[in-house]
Amino acid sequence: MTIGVTINSLPVINSSTSMYRDFGTSFIFVLIGIILVAVPLLLQRILSPRRKTAEKMSTYECGEDVEGPAWVKFNIRFYVIALIFIIFDVEVVFLFPWAVVYKELGLFAFVEMMIFLGILALGLAYVWRKGDLEWVKYSVPYGRGRYRKLTIIEETPASPAPAPQETAA
Amino acid sequence: MGNIQSISYFLPELMVIATVVVALIADLVYSDRNSYKVGYLVIAGLVVASFTLWLSLPEETTPIFLNTIVVDPFSRIFKFVFLLATFIVVLMSMNSDELKGVRTGEYYTLMAAMVLGMSLMASSVDLIMVYLSIEIVSIISFILAGYLRAQVRSNEAALKYVIYGAFSSGLMLYGLSLLYGLTGTTKLFQLSGSISSLGPGSNLTLTVSTILMLAGFGYKVAIVPFHFWTPDVYEGAPTPVTAYLSVAPKAAGFALLIRFFNTLFGTGQPLNSPVWQAMEGVPWQDILMVLAAVTMTVGNLVAIQQKNIKRLLAYSSIAHAGYILMGVPVLSQEGVYAIVFYIIVYLFMQLGAFSLAIVVSNRYGTEIIEEYSGIGWKSPYLGFFMAVFMFSLTGIPPTAGFIGKMYLFAALINGGSQFYWLAIIGVLNSVISLYYYMRVVKVMYFQGGREKDLYVPGGMSAAIVLAMAIPSIYFGVRWSFLADWVNSSLKFFIAGF
Amino acid sequence: MTGSFFFYFFAAVTLTSALLVVLNRNAVYSAVLLVFCFFSLAVIFLLLEAYFLAILEILIYAGAIMVLFLFVIMLLSLGREKAQEHFRYLQRGLSLFLVIVFFLSVLIIFLSDSGILHQPHGTFTAGGVNALGEALFTKYLLPFEVASLLLLVALIGTVYLAKRKV
Repeated sequence: MTIGVTINSLPVINSSTSMYRDFGTSFIFVLIGIILVAVPLLLQRILSPRRKTAEKMSTYECGEDVEGPAWVKFNIRFYVIALIFIIFDVEVVFLFPWAVVYKELGLFAFVEMMIFLGILALGLAYVWRKGDLEWVKYSVPYGRGRYRKLTIIEETPASPAPAPQETAA
Repeated sequence: MGNIQSISYFLPELMVIATVVVALIADLVYSDRNSYKVGYLVIAGLVVASFTLWLSLPEETTPIFLNTIVVDPFSRIFKFVFLLATFIVVLMSMNSDELKGVRTGEYYTLMAAMVLGMSLMASSVDLIMVYLSIEIVSIISFILAGYLRAQVRSNEAALKYVIYGAFSSGLMLYGLSLLYGLTGTTKLFQLSGSISSLGPGSNLTLTVSTILMLAGFGYKVAIVPFHFWTPDVYEGAPTPVTAYLSVAPKAAGFALLIRFFNTLFGTGQPLNSPVWQAMEGVPWQDILMVLAAVTMTVGNLVAIQQKNIKRLLAYSSIAHAGYILMGVPVLSQEGVYAIVFYIIVYLFMQLGAFSLAIVVSNRYGTEIIEEYSGIGWKSPYLGFFMAVFMFSLTGIPPTAGFIGKMYLFAALINGGSQFYWLAIIGVLNSVISLYYYMRVVKVMYFQGGREKDLYVPGGMSAAIVLAMAIPSIYFGVRWSFLADWVNSSLKFFIAGF
Repeated sequence: MTGSFFFYFFAAVTLTSALLVVLNRNAVYSAVLLVFCFFSLAVIFLLLEAYFLAILEILIYAGAIMVLFLFVIMLLSLGREKAQEHFRYLQRGLSLFLVIVFFLSVLIIFLSDSGILHQPHGTFTAGGVNALGEALFTKYLLPFEVASLLLLVALIGTVYLAKRKV
């Protein structure tokens, strides 16, 4: 459609040589990063003496004996939060090209993005209202005066050891 | 047509979007106990959307939003089908005991959003739009299938659905990407131009791409190699959802299938030309014929063994998908006409059978066919109408199902001698289906005691059953109104040919 | 020359890590290998001059989606997968067969069809954010807005299904 604006062609880096220069630089940095980690690890593997004893192999050499595996069940709350995060992450990704072409498209793009954001804000309102953003869930009786019957839902811990959950956050 | 001018053609869909938004906001306001009221809002929204659609110019054919979707009579009739099916299913859900005590605000909101997805499926002419609309419908189907979170059965249904769905949409995406790779465009009209200029060297690629895309479409329609999810999902999902899934997304899938194959692999004749040609070299006609034959045979043979009424209707819906699919490879106006006619008729009889299953399960607490014994005597109302729907689904003369099947077979016979074998298989399959449909009737009338409690379901349930039964019989006697309407709707938007 | 070297190198890395994702018995290792796979895929996107897609690959897939995967793995408390006691030969054989058939058919397509190896018709401009934004906000306006609805529906559905209290 014609919206009365033409897109000014910006100097786009298109020739592959400059691409290799630009990304080549960052690639070298990545390589250096890998080497800086790998070489010391390799060195210590070669140089350090290794005499395994039962004491040494235990998780805490002078602490409690470990009970059960370190992998515990996470609370499902993490999962919900991660899901919400992905949805809004995708939304933010759409904002990026929008910002780039905003100058050319002007009001039209603004309205478009506002519709897009409005629909997703509805999702945020939904999540908020249903209390999925709260870490500890309160059951707020809907529509009967704010916080009148505020009760904390008794929640049985999902895992035998709830402590590692906190650290994992 | 440009984006801003398009909006006036997009009004029915905008009404649906508005319904979704209003329903969602209402859901935030209502308490758990009152959230069923969202259903009334959705019904009101659907009525408004239908009204707007009715007011839209019926003969208009134009691409809108820069050739992403089109407005044409073909998509219009399908939009009516979706609106009607959703309307009925929302009413059915309100009277279903399964959904009592569950928060249903989201449920109705999602149903409204599903209408939008299906409308877009029926009208999209851009690969990206095709994929997006299929995904909307799929995602909502997953959620609706698993809506009864407390039930393991429902959870299992949703999980299986998601896994099969992800797999088939992956295959379809690969097929679409092959098409894009060959042509460099996502617009259906440009695609068909580019494809015909490709030459025979690309026929293999096109064939593979067709098969892969069929995996995606076939999954929505539940054609046989892609049907594995159907029985478990249909059994596990809440019954109204099962009814919905077995009608509405199927219709949308067929709308998409017809448009896709006509535009892409035809040689550009309009839909209402008596015969349209298939593109040379890509054997999609044969593929579809074989799939149709296999689909109805498998659906019927497995349906015979079912003991649960929902599973029976699920497998029989696979068989019906097979019947409908017979009309696609005929490549004639008659074929498409028969498909659309059959889909409309199928909507009434399938939803009717399911609404009766809901009433029976509300009243007698069973979904097992053997436990239907004596219902025909206990409640003549239920018995009579169940018999009507079963007759109609089988295709026995004074019912609408018969007329639908007659048109399908007529299209095959008139299509030429290469379709005779398919017609014969279709007829044989109808005979098989007679066996298991009639078994339901037999159990209701000839088994069990004959005590009478003269049960008549409450107002709304009875009204839904009646509203489904009347067209199921009426269109079997006088179908000229429906026939005219369908005939006038066989018009695609065709660009540049 | 350097381009094809980089391509083959990272293609090999992608394939190897993808294979290891499937073969590894430890779900957490698989997840980490998948991150590796996504990273090398991103580099391949870079080589195709699809810069924005490359960033997206890392941002969304390696970032957000992998976090989700890890949470699911931890949620289900999947440790080392136990070797299946009943080794299903038929199942494995069939799946292997299907994979080979699929792979061969793709191979045949690419070898036999000269058309598919050609550059896409028209000039390729989708790589930059500029071209992408322009297309997204004019040509693909409706899909863009519909995508927001898709996201909304997905959000409602997942939050509803994942909630514990009925």
